[in-house]
Amino acid sequence: MLKTFSIGGIHPSDKKISKDCKIEVLPVPSKVYISVAQHLGAPATPIVKAGDKVLAGQVIAEPAGFISAYVHSSVSGTVKSVGPRKDLAGNNVIHIEIDVEGDDWAEGIDLSDDIVTEIPEDNKAILEKIKLNGVVGLGGATFPTHVKLCPPPGKKADCLILNGAECEPYLTSDNRIMLERSKEIVVGAAIMKQVLGGCPAVIGIEENKPEAIKAMSEAVAELKKTAKGYDGISVMPLKKKYPQGGEKQLIDAVMKRQVKSMGLPIDVGAVVQNVATSLAVYEAVQKNMPLVTNVLTVTGDCLPMEKQHNYKFRIGMPLSYIAEYAGGVPQEAAKIISGGPMMGKAIANMDATTVKGSSSLLYLTAEQTVRGVESACIRCGKCSEACPMGLEPFLLQKYARNGMMEELEENAIQDCIECGCCLYSCPANIPLLDIIRIAKGDVIKIIRTRK
Amino acid sequence: MDKLIVSPSPHLHTKTSTKSLMRDVVIALLPAVVVSVLFYGWNELLVLGVSVASCVLLEFLITKYLLKGACTIGDWSAVITGILLALNLPATTPWWVVFIGAVVAIGVAKMTFGGLGQNLFNPAIAGRVFLLISFPTYMTDWTKPAGFVGNALADGYSGATPLGLVKEGGIDAVAGLDYSDMLFYNIGGSAGELSAIALLAGFAYLLARKVIRPYITCSIIATVAVFSGIFWAIDPATYTDPVFNILTGGLLLGSIFMATDYVTSPMSNWGGVVYGIGIGVITMLIRYFGAYPEGVSFAILIMNSVVPLINKVFHAKKYGR
Repeated sequence: MLKTFSIGGIHPSDKKISKDCKIEVLPVPSKVYISVAQHLGAPATPIVKAGDKVLAGQVIAEPAGFISAYVHSSVSGTVKSVGPRKDLAGNNVIHIEIDVEGDDWAEGIDLSDDIVTEIPEDNKAILEKIKLNGVVGLGGATFPTHVKLCPPPGKKADCLILNGAECEPYLTSDNRIMLERSKEIVVGAAIMKQVLGGCPAVIGIEENKPEAIKAMSEAVAELKKTAKGYDGISVMPLKKKYPQGGEKQLIDAVMKRQVKSMGLPIDVGAVVQNVATSLAVYEAVQKNMPLVTNVLTVTGDCLPMEKQHNYKFRIGMPLSYIAEYAGGVPQEAAKIISGGPMMGKAIANMDATTVKGSSSLLYLTAEQTVRGVESACIRCGKCSEACPMGLEPFLLQKYARNGMMEELEENAIQDCIECGCCLYSCPANIPLLDIIRIAKGDVIKIIRTRK
Repeated sequence: MDKLIVSPSPHLHTKTSTKSLMRDVVIALLPAVVVSVLFYGWNELLVLGVSVASCVLLEFLITKYLLKGACTIGDWSAVITGILLALNLPATTPWWVVFIGAVVAIGVAKMTFGGLGQNLFNPAIAGRVFLLISFPTYMTDWTKPAGFVGNALADGYSGATPLGLVKEGGIDAVAGLDYSDMLFYNIGGSAGELSAIALLAGFAYLLARKVIRPYITCSIIATVAVFSGIFWAIDPATYTDPVFNILTGGLLLGSIFMATDYVTSPMSNWGGVVYGIGIGVITMLIRYFGAYPEGVSFAILIMNSVVPLINKVFHAKKYGR
């Protein structure tokens, strides 16, 4: 019996159309716009100005607080401007505009394909490299990785969980890196596990990616034989169920432990990192390569097979440039998602540029995505059955519509992970998550002011 | 692509809708409908036709002219109420009695509370119980009309339900009754209690299509089995046995199709179990000690009224709490 999380969950479509498309490298455009807010926390402070010459891999913005991250240039060229530009949601964010000239990289970066399996011993130096190279979580939240790898005093990691679940339909970038960069990911895991004090590391992968399970298992077995520091790493196939890749759900599935309300994974001895983050850690520590590239999937039912792609992109590339290169936006596309169809963001502005955490350009047709007309709640309980946090969305939306803050808090609205299972499941098309999301923000504000 | 749609996540939605769920319930009811029509013939067709047509028509008229809101007959829920009401009545019920039942079910029990999703009591049961109290002669006349198959009832049981016979003549009155008759179609009773196999086929379909969860139904049946099992073990000469109690008196129809009505049953699984135990116990108390031969309808109505309380006490198991 394969492991999975114990409460709720749904089975949306199992589509992974682009899973067999090899990663292709996108050519560098003539201009990039690099955002200074590519991570959770304070936006970084630009340290370059118009006219400066920059090299690829050079720091162009510094962290502006404890939870913040370095941002590097992904190209070589001249800084044209530093100023506000619209991100994919249409909000103004400071971007650094760079005119591309050649492709020269900063000194000390190992651009070769050789895989370095020997892990450095100095944990402090490793953490410094992860921080200086701007590594952030690539599973969606873009939380600075070095912060997550330093448990607060008194707390110890019992298990490092590598998230290879990729439970969102359509997304295939994690699948591809697990197939094409398996060894590097395992090296990254070994590095993080050493930093965390040598706890075991488990790589959780959903059963619908048998090739990835096989590739990762083989990589682990081989590294165990040929190098030091790889004991205690294992691959765990997981049942296919959304949201398996949710941090709290994955901890439940792998460790049979549940994080307390408003608590952190480390409270139950868990540290969860995405497989793409592990790859970024490998690049940062073993190759001194800053996080300026990542892999994204261009997919959708309305694209023919030859236009499905997995691309290695550089940060700062305009989305419209990638869409054009991939063969243009299909006529049928009514909505374009950055991220998965369950938790991703609808793109309002195709002139926005890629960020560290970009994972897809997903084209959905009107038929797929337009919601039905809302009708009366029939009290079927399907939302409650689907909620992986064990909440009662029908009740929360009712309290939320009536502004009943105390009842909302009592019924744990603050625990909502916004996975979308409730809204997905509702046969009456009630916009459960839309309503809950807003009320949750208000309740969390109330809780914070009380403290 | 002229304009992009921008809206919050999730961007996909299940294909299951209120309409498709309700349609599945109608499909699940079809085996029982077919058996009852075959066995009771034209009379049953008339009862079914009048019941479904009046329920749908009444809902249409009320939503359009009284509530002046959106018309809800497209969601199939009125059709279900119509079929369930018909399956709860003797095949010989006059058409105007059926119509009054539909008025109570849709007009009173459903629409006065605000329509689908708002009603406290199961409409079909409310209609049936109203008729049972108001027109007892029609409602307990189990004379079998000519059907298309199986023209004779099991010997000597014409004109009464097995439970009715027990109430009047004690347990000896049903001594010769064969369980296989109850499983298929050969007993007296309302159309919906004719055939356990047909009802169970519907149950299997509802579970397979994930329309309902099994907790409520199983809890009722298990409670009835345990309750009657204890009495029967102590005094088999006075009390009927568990299998008899499960196969008769509309217990299967009630526990599969009416106690599981989304709107009037608890939301949580444990709530459903408690609700089912309540229905099972009240049913058996009425059957063994009450004035009526069978008690499923009353039991469901009584437990319907407790559902808000059950929902307050029983919640889903929360993550990390």
